[in-house]
This record gives sequence, structure tokens and C-alpha cells, in this order.
Amino acid sequence: MDPLLIRNFSIIAHIDHGKSTLADRMLELCNAVEKRAMRAQLLDDMELERERGITIKARAVTIWHEHKGQRYQLNLIDTPGHVDFNYEVEKSLQACEGALLLVDASQGVEAQTVANAYLAVEADLEIIPLLNKIDLTHSRPDEVAEEIEHSIGIDATDALHISAKTGKGVEAVLDEVVKRVPPPREKLSDPLRALIFDAIYNEYRGVIVYLRVVDGVIAKGQKIEMKGTGKVFEAVEIGRFTPDMTRTDELGAGEVGYFISNIKRLGDVRIGDTMILHKGPDVEMLPGYAPPSHMVFADFYPTNNGDFDNLREALGTLSLSDSSFSFDPVTSEALGFGFRCGFLGLLHMEIIQQRLEREHDMDMIQTAPTVNYHVDMGGGETIEIHSPGQLPEQYERLLEPIARVQILLPADYIGAMMQICNDHRGVYVRQEYLSQTRVLLVYDIPLAEIIYDFYDKLKSATRGYGTLDYTITDFKAENLVKLRILVNGEDVDALSSMCHADQADQRGRSTIKKLRKAIPRHMFEIPLQAAVGAKIIARENIAALRKDVTAKCYGGDITRKRKLLEKQKAGKRRMRQVGSVDIPQKAFLSVLGDREDSK
Amino acid sequence: MTSFRAQQLTPEPGTALYVHLPFCVAKCTYCDFYSLAAEGEDLDGTLEAVIAEVHRRAPRSPKTVFVGGGTPSLYPPEDLGRLFDELDRASGFRASAREVTLESNPESLDADRVRALRSFGVDRLSIGVQSLDPTILELFGRVHTAETALAALDAARTGGIERISADLIYGAPGQTVEAWLTDLRRVTAFELGHISAYQLAYEKGTIMTRWREEGRLPVFGEELELAFFEATRGALGDRGYQAYEVSNFCLSGQQCQHNEGYWRNEPYVGIGPSAVSQVGGTRFGNPRSLHPWRRAIERGDYPTAWEETLSPVERLGETWWLGLRTRRGVDLEAARASASVEPEEDPTLPRIEEMMHRGLLERVGAHYRLTERGWPLADAVARKFLDATSEREKPTDPWEPAKIVGPTSPDR
Repeated sequence: MDPLLIRNFSIIAHIDHGKSTLADRMLELCNAVEKRAMRAQLLDDMELERERGITIKARAVTIWHEHKGQRYQLNLIDTPGHVDFNYEVEKSLQACEGALLLVDASQGVEAQTVANAYLAVEADLEIIPLLNKIDLTHSRPDEVAEEIEHSIGIDATDALHISAKTGKGVEAVLDEVVKRVPPPREKLSDPLRALIFDAIYNEYRGVIVYLRVVDGVIAKGQKIEMKGTGKVFEAVEIGRFTPDMTRTDELGAGEVGYFISNIKRLGDVRIGDTMILHKGPDVEMLPGYAPPSHMVFADFYPTNNGDFDNLREALGTLSLSDSSFSFDPVTSEALGFGFRCGFLGLLHMEIIQQRLEREHDMDMIQTAPTVNYHVDMGGGETIEIHSPGQLPEQYERLLEPIARVQILLPADYIGAMMQICNDHRGVYVRQEYLSQTRVLLVYDIPLAEIIYDFYDKLKSATRGYGTLDYTITDFKAENLVKLRILVNGEDVDALSSMCHADQADQRGRSTIKKLRKAIPRHMFEIPLQAAVGAKIIARENIAALRKDVTAKCYGGDITRKRKLLEKQKAGKRRMRQVGSVDIPQKAFLSVLGDREDSK
Repeated sequence: MTSFRAQQLTPEPGTALYVHLPFCVAKCTYCDFYSLAAEGEDLDGTLEAVIAEVHRRAPRSPKTVFVGGGTPSLYPPEDLGRLFDELDRASGFRASAREVTLESNPESLDADRVRALRSFGVDRLSIGVQSLDPTILELFGRVHTAETALAALDAARTGGIERISADLIYGAPGQTVEAWLTDLRRVTAFELGHISAYQLAYEKGTIMTRWREEGRLPVFGEELELAFFEATRGALGDRGYQAYEVSNFCLSGQQCQHNEGYWRNEPYVGIGPSAVSQVGGTRFGNPRSLHPWRRAIERGDYPTAWEETLSPVERLGETWWLGLRTRRGVDLEAARASASVEPEEDPTLPRIEEMMHRGLLERVGAHYRLTERGWPLADAVARKFLDATSEREKPTDPWEPAKIVGPTSPDR
């Protein structure tokens, strides 16, 4: 295939702005799929993706388009639309020369669209702005075009007006892709270099490698070496997604497709690695990708401790299809054995949790998310911790991740939003009016604040119109403290948390209040205390039980009444004894597991 | 048909015997025993079935007999006479029993009846006085007045039965501690040997429980409940009645020996619908319904509807729970021996220490018993022992996993 007749492109869009619908229309126009055989929104494979309208794993589809008598190969490489998946977006964009920037002309530019468009600009892609849903009566294409220009800094005056739903203008989009997206610059004659931009695990086929041929040609039957890992695999099958997997004998420079070689474990394939010909000429590695960084951590515990092995197995299976989360065994004095998992972000966490429940039928307890802290030990040594229990006794400084947060919102709500940012230790960076009614606010806010309750507050303060995107830009030493919780005078590490010194009083009080409700009365009074260092900042008591005795117990009652007592005790099965106090699991979860208290 | 272990068990001679006659004039609003309003029911047929079961299942030479219900005194004296005659034929109780109690309600008791009962071998009467407050009697759905109740106490004496117990219930909605103590004084004036004073409990399925759930009855606070409990113990104690169990008080030597057997976790045989037995470490019960029970008897089958056999350690826990209800307490050595638990297998020791440390348990000679402070917390203390001895707990205990699992990776 002549590289000059190839166009590789992505679609950048906010959730619900119509990306999948547009992809469907393109496939239909190019007869890749018969309309009636088509499932709506074909590119989203996983059940969860369709349900949530989010594309999680990058997908690639090859379609054919006639333009001025020439037949062009168009490779549409799908990108996820959510902030958590910037890492995936970056992978997709590196395999492209152009991107369609799809914006809902009734909604306007959203924060995530801006973030992803920036990534495309950085990757030096040709960006073609599209205004979608122009059939809606309340669409405002001119204003939104202006927003695009102001927020992303590209010319949007000749943005195409389309309706992905009706198909209006979609043909013109394909023509525009051919005209404006540059063909791949690579040469067929060079030695083979192909970029692994993704990989998925299939139960029947093993690992399916998504690749973009950069130089040369990859052909069926060749011995292929993964340059980074040194592993060698035979090209058992190569092909294109049309969108079904279609075998082909070879893929040439600039083309996008798949590679199968009975690879059993996703771990054997490193995304970003360079595929070369085994024993072929020595070539340089492609730049590849930085490994994903886990920004959010949470613990998963099986509800029944006996399910620990099942949970481990489920996480293992899940990691075959999503290599971007981590899991390590963890023991909690409160919740038993479980796993500390690292995620790209909050949505990523939620998706993994739901997939475990849905695809693996796991019944789990999940703790509230935390962030990773850097502990400066002095002498140039820094360690990373994910929970307050890991904090060493002595250290120089404690640093927390700071996010550069971009919030796009209607101008009416700007005052309320700035207040929320300030309440969450935000540092103002700048604000821009993208149009008369839409404002971009930029703040630096500690990630710990964002995962606490920031998103909920943003949504309620902007009546759902505000959107948010963030990138971790820095680790900063803030006045962070460990909030200790003492039950009956004993430190309960599983209940402790990290927070800013200014918030310790309020958090301490609210934690103690929750515990007072959740711990049952005992035969003695139980003091509950919150402390920072040696200083007690909050205290409450659980009064002693005064009377607990059954009036009647004779021969006919013994079995039944014993069972009643045992039933009260059955709740105890989920209790943890700390000193002489029985703390129910729900007490731990009221502290670790929800973010209700600030509402 | 399900085969029960219970059917192979023969009670040892001397085993205590309980007979249940389920009929009452009307169902009381607080009552959760198995009882039926008598009207329209086949009282005679039921009695015949009870007699049939007596012949089939009664132990030889029972050391105590307790006929309860229901209201056994509802039956005409001649019917009761027949029951006791058959009972004696089956068990020889008249020669063996140290105590033969009949439960009765005030409205069905006069001196003549008492004389008749005495001639049948009854030597103890438990009379359901419940309250002397007309409002409370009405709320409880009792069919007698305070005066009838007090007259029945006199009648028992006149009829020649010396061992008399009055059943009382306190803590009714709207009742004050003072009003209760006044009623209690009127009863103690009779110098009965035994008084059972129960705090009103809202048992599952009773009429009063439904009223309370509907919000029609005021709810007592814990402090008021405690005040009633302590005042009762204090007032009865002042008049020489010792609290030998949570709700049972007596003058010296007047304990109910039959009930003491329950609290020592000893064997017993129960006859009649809903009656429960404990024989050879297995506890089992008859159907809690008249007709299935009768059908089984009339077919010549064992009427057993359920059974449970606890492990030795679980039995030990139960012995603790029941024993802690009594002033006598628990003889640790004896309890272990009767449950067949070796000292090194006994999981209760840390609990004993903990409860003693908290001042809720004390040791008197060979026995452990609740302290004054421990009495109102008897269930909470008992739960500690049941906790320690529960077998089913262990396999699913989430806090002590059997194995430590090493690092995990997708490479399995």
C-alpha cells in the first residue's frame, strides 16, 4: 500500500458529544458494516463502555474512502474521552497524523476536550474542528467555534457543521481527512519498525497486539523481535480491523493493524515497544511511552474473607485486559486481607470496581481513595507512600501531588466555583473568557482535595454544566499531618488519615462523630479521640451499656433465645477487636469508605 | 419422613418432666407461649393425645413435674385427675417427684379445686396474677380482676397447697416505679414462698409488640428499665426474698426445683404441642401447632419437629449462659464435666478473666456468678461466653485468615 494513500486519524471529543455515532456513520458510508447488521456504537466493545458512554481501550478501524477517483485507506484510531485516560489518549495519538476535534455545538467546549486537544497539538497533529449536533434548535455553532479558538488556539472559522446522528456532513468530513491530514512520512523500503500502541487479551487468541507500522513492511510468517524486551514471536496472523479482524498478508509503512502470535500473557508485551525483524538490520527504538502513573489508590477487600483467592484471581484476569492498574496484597487490621490498587484516576477506579463486580461477581468492600505521597527522608532519599500507616516516624518533608486543574463552566457560576477552589486549598492560576458565557478557570489544587469531594461540589455548584480536567504537575511540601484516631486510648491505624493541618480539627470531629454512631455500646464507657501528634483535637464518649438482660428463659425457650443472642452476635462476625473494644466493619467503612461528611 | 436422633434417645430415670396444655380463655397481649383460645377447640381430644404421648415418652420416676400452658387449670378437675393418674401410671411420679407444679390463672381457682389438685399429687401452684392495676390488667388482656387474683392466692392456701408462686409483670406502658412497688407490697403481704417478677418484654409476634410497632405504646428508656429492675430486686430483698434468678425470687428453700434444672442445663422431657425436650445432649421440640402434633401422636409417630445437638464446647457456652442467670452461678468443673470439655480445650477462661476484671463476675467457692453490677447486663456477659464457644464462627472468621498470601502478579 502506497503510504501516500493512507490517512491515520483520531477523534477527540467529550463524552456524549457524539464520537461513537460519528464513527458509526463513517463506517456505514464506507460500507465497512451493513447498517442493519450494526450494533449501535460499534467501536465500544465492552458492556460497561456502552453503558457509560465511555470508550476505555483504544480501538482501531480501517475503512476505505474514494476521493477524486483515488481509493484511500483511512485508519480511525479511537481514543477515550475521559480525563483519567490521558495516558491512553497519548498512545492513540502517537499512531496518527491528524485528529478530528468534535464539539457538540449545543454544549460547547468541555474541559476534557481541551486537555485532549492540547495533547494532539503537542503531538503535532493536523486538527480538523467539527461542530456536531447542528440539527438541534439550541445549537450555537458560531459561539462554540469562538470557544474552540480561544481555548485551544486553532482556527475554527471553517469548522465543518455536521450531524452525526442524521449523517449530514459526514461525507465531507471524510474528504477533509484525505485533504488535510498528511499521509504517513515513512518509507516502505526501510527496515521494519512498528510501534505497539496497545494490546488486549482475548481468551481464544491470546494477546492481540495493536500496531502502527512506522517503517518497512511486516508480513505473515516473519520472526518478529520486541526490541525492548528482546522476546521473539512469529507473525502467526496479521490483519486490519474493518472493524472485524480481517487477515492480510502484510502491513506496510503507515498502516495500522493487529498482530497475533499465541502470546499468553499481556505482561509479555510492553506497550510503546518497537517491533523489528528478528536478526534483521539494527535500527533505533521508537520513542514509545512513559509508563502510566498511578495517581489514585484504594483498597479492595473481599466481603467474605474466604473470597480472597477469588479476588486475587479476578484482579489477575482483569489485568490481562487492562494493564494500567496495579494491585498488591495488603493487610488491614480492620478489614483483613485485600489488595491496594493503583489507578490512573477516579473514573478508572470506578470502572475497575464495577468490572470486578459485574464480570467476576465479586462482593467487595472498597476504601475511600487516597493519593500517593512523597516522603523526603533527607540526604536526597525520597520514598513513596500510599497510606498513613506507611509514614515513617522521622522524615524531612512530606510532599503531596498537585494538580493543574482546568475547569470550564458557564460564567454565572464563577464566584461559587472560585470559592470551592479556595476551600480546597486551590491556588489561582488564571481565568479566560472563551466566549461571553463560558469561562476557563485554571487552579493548582492538591490531588487529595480533588479526590475527596471536589467533583461532586463542582457538579452541584454549576448545576452539572461545569467540567473538569487535571494533570499532575508537581509534588509540593504542604503542612500535612497524620490524623490519629484512638479508641479506648488505643491507636487504630486503619482509621488514621492524612490531611492538611488546617482541616485536621474538622476532619477529626467528623470522624469521631461517625464512629460514635457506628460502634455499639459496650459494658464500659469508650472514649473516642482524634489526635495530631500528641495533641487531642476531638473527643467523644460512647456511654456504657446499662441494661441488657432477658426477662424469661425456661426449657422451651432455650434454643430460640440462644439463637436470638447469637443473631445479635452474628453482627459481630464483621467486628474487629481493638483492645477490648469490638469495632464493626461498618464503623471502619463509615470512616474509610465514603465521602459523605462534607455535604 | 425425616429421621431424628431424638427418637433413639431414652431419658434416664429421674429426668424432669414438663407437660404442656395449650388452652387459655383468651390470648394475653404480651404472651408468646404456644397457647390458643379454648373456645371451639377440641379440649378432650387434645387431652387424650397428651395422655397418649405421656405413655409413649414420659421418663420413669421424674424428680420434678411441671404442668404448664396455656392454662392447665382450665380443664375440669376430673379431667386433670385422669391426666395425673395416667401420668403416674406411665412414670410413677407420685413416688418419685419432689415437686409437682401446676400453672393456673386466678379465674379458674377456688379452694375446692385446689383440694382436688392436691389429691392428684400437685404440691405447688404457680398463679398468674400479673398485675393488680385494673388498667394494666385490661391492657394485658387478662380476664380476671385484682381482687379475683388475691382471692385465688387465699384459695390456694385454704385448699391446702403451701407452696405458692405468684407471676407478676412490671414495666407496663405508663406504669411508674412507685405504683409497681405498691402492687408488689400487696402481693408480698401474702407471704408467698415464691414470686416471679418479669420485666415486660416485647416478644416477636405478640399483640403488644404490634401495638408498639404501630407507635401506640410509649417506649421505655434504658434508665427507666434499669430503675424498675433495681427497685424490684431491692424491694423484694428487703422482704426476705432472694433473687435466685434474674426474674425469680423466693424465701429460703422455696426455689422452683424444676426450673433450676433448666438453668443448670440438665435433661428434661417435654410433652404436648410446642414442648421441648433435652435428652442425652440433644434438644428437640414438638410442632408449635396443635394439629400436626396431634396427627403425629394419633398415627403413633414421634411428634418431633426439630432437633439440635451442640458440640461439647457449645454446650459449655450454653451452660455458662443459663447458669449466669442464677445466683448460684456456674460451677466451672461441673460444667466442663457435664459437657465433656477438657480444661485445656476450654475457650472461656479469657472471658472469665475479662468479666471479673470489669467487676461483672465474681467467684464464690467453686462457683462463678454475676456481681450486683453484672445482673442487669446478664445477656451482654452471656454473649461473651457464647461468642467464645461458638463453633460455627471459626471457619468464616474474617480476622484470622488461615494463610498468608505472598505477592501477586498477573503471571499466575
